[in-house]
Amino acid sequence: MENLILECRGICKSYGRKEVLKDLNLTIESGKIYGLIGRNGAGKTTLLSILTAQNPATGGEVTINGKPVWENEEVLKDLCFSREIVSSTQNGIAAMKVKNYLKAASVYFPYWDQGMADELVKEFGLDIKKPMSKLSKGMLSMVTIVVALASKAPFTILDEPVAGLDVFMRRKFYQLLLEEYSNTGRTFIISTHIIEEASDVLEEVIMLHGGKILLKENTQELIGRTFCVSGLESEVDRAVRNLKTYMPERTGRGKRVTVVLNSGEKIDETCDVTVQPVNLSEVFVAMCNETEAAYEK
Amino acid sequence: MNVLLNQEKSIYIQISEMIETDILRGILLEEERVPSTNELAKMYTINPATAAKGVNILVDSGILYKKRGIGMFVATGAKEKITAARKESFKENYVMALVKEAKGLGLKKKDIVSMIESIMED
Repeated sequence: MENLILECRGICKSYGRKEVLKDLNLTIESGKIYGLIGRNGAGKTTLLSILTAQNPATGGEVTINGKPVWENEEVLKDLCFSREIVSSTQNGIAAMKVKNYLKAASVYFPYWDQGMADELVKEFGLDIKKPMSKLSKGMLSMVTIVVALASKAPFTILDEPVAGLDVFMRRKFYQLLLEEYSNTGRTFIISTHIIEEASDVLEEVIMLHGGKILLKENTQELIGRTFCVSGLESEVDRAVRNLKTYMPERTGRGKRVTVVLNSGEKIDETCDVTVQPVNLSEVFVAMCNETEAAYEK
Repeated sequence: MNVLLNQEKSIYIQISEMIETDILRGILLEEERVPSTNELAKMYTINPATAAKGVNILVDSGILYKKRGIGMFVATGAKEKITAARKESFKENYVMALVKEAKGLGLKKKDIVSMIESIMED
């Protein structure tokens, strides 16, 4: 597949007085599975809709290989944003039957693969004659997954694709995603709140916090350099001296902190402390907590 | 401390160790093809780049080798090599942790030796 670079430069977005995105820069190279994580209201959906020209930015520009995305059919054909469907607020969609919704998608996406759509519908056990308003939250998520995968768009974005799915279907989704990714090398950006389950699938993680990109890094490398250090307070302090610590917690004489090691940094191994690895959601909590504390000051 | 770090290892290290264990157990034989990174990715629901990293560790240590256009294969002598490497790291991975814990509990050397003798024959 052709090498594409999706780039955001200086993206700002305000809804009335509320500033959601603040001078945000982000570069997405093709051929990877990215995860976008951020707290409720962090602006994930806003960012994804701006990336795909479904929502105008207040400032800044989104380009693919230097060509602006906004109202540009030539590059929009390479993008698919399969939004979370909320049939109660999207009246036009509520009355639509599933098969008509998929039909509309097949017209909209130029690389649409009907065979794949049919197969996925069967695999998920979706009743295509049902109106969208009669689908459960999990089934609506399945529809968005069918649209995203069958769109065959080189850049495919899924917003909360696993919302409402049970643990079996979430696993199924990640397997389908990996299979499609292995076969095609398409680029996927997935937003999710169920971070731990997704972390093994994501090659890179993008953290959105405070209207900016807090971090964009290889998931395994990020996890590999983050540790939880615990023990007697004085020993912990000695073990992590000169290191930036997150989320210190004290219990009696004990203390635990999270550290994210930069190259060349290390925990003093001669101290009597317990050093444990952490998972991606703990890294996320630690880093968001830190910046929130900084904002309060 | 290293032992604690190893308790939950990086996914790619776990992948490389799982392949090694499969070789030791005779699930994968020498000169046999190992699952591709895409197959491993699907099997364990992990990113193919992570699976590739795990496989590459074994290529670098000469346990697997690449046949161009076909895939990864178990090298001749891989089983012996893995056993030797694991024996070498046994002291660091297991014995040192055991001694550290024993010291913390005030156990003496002779206590540990007698415990081992009671559960392990020559």
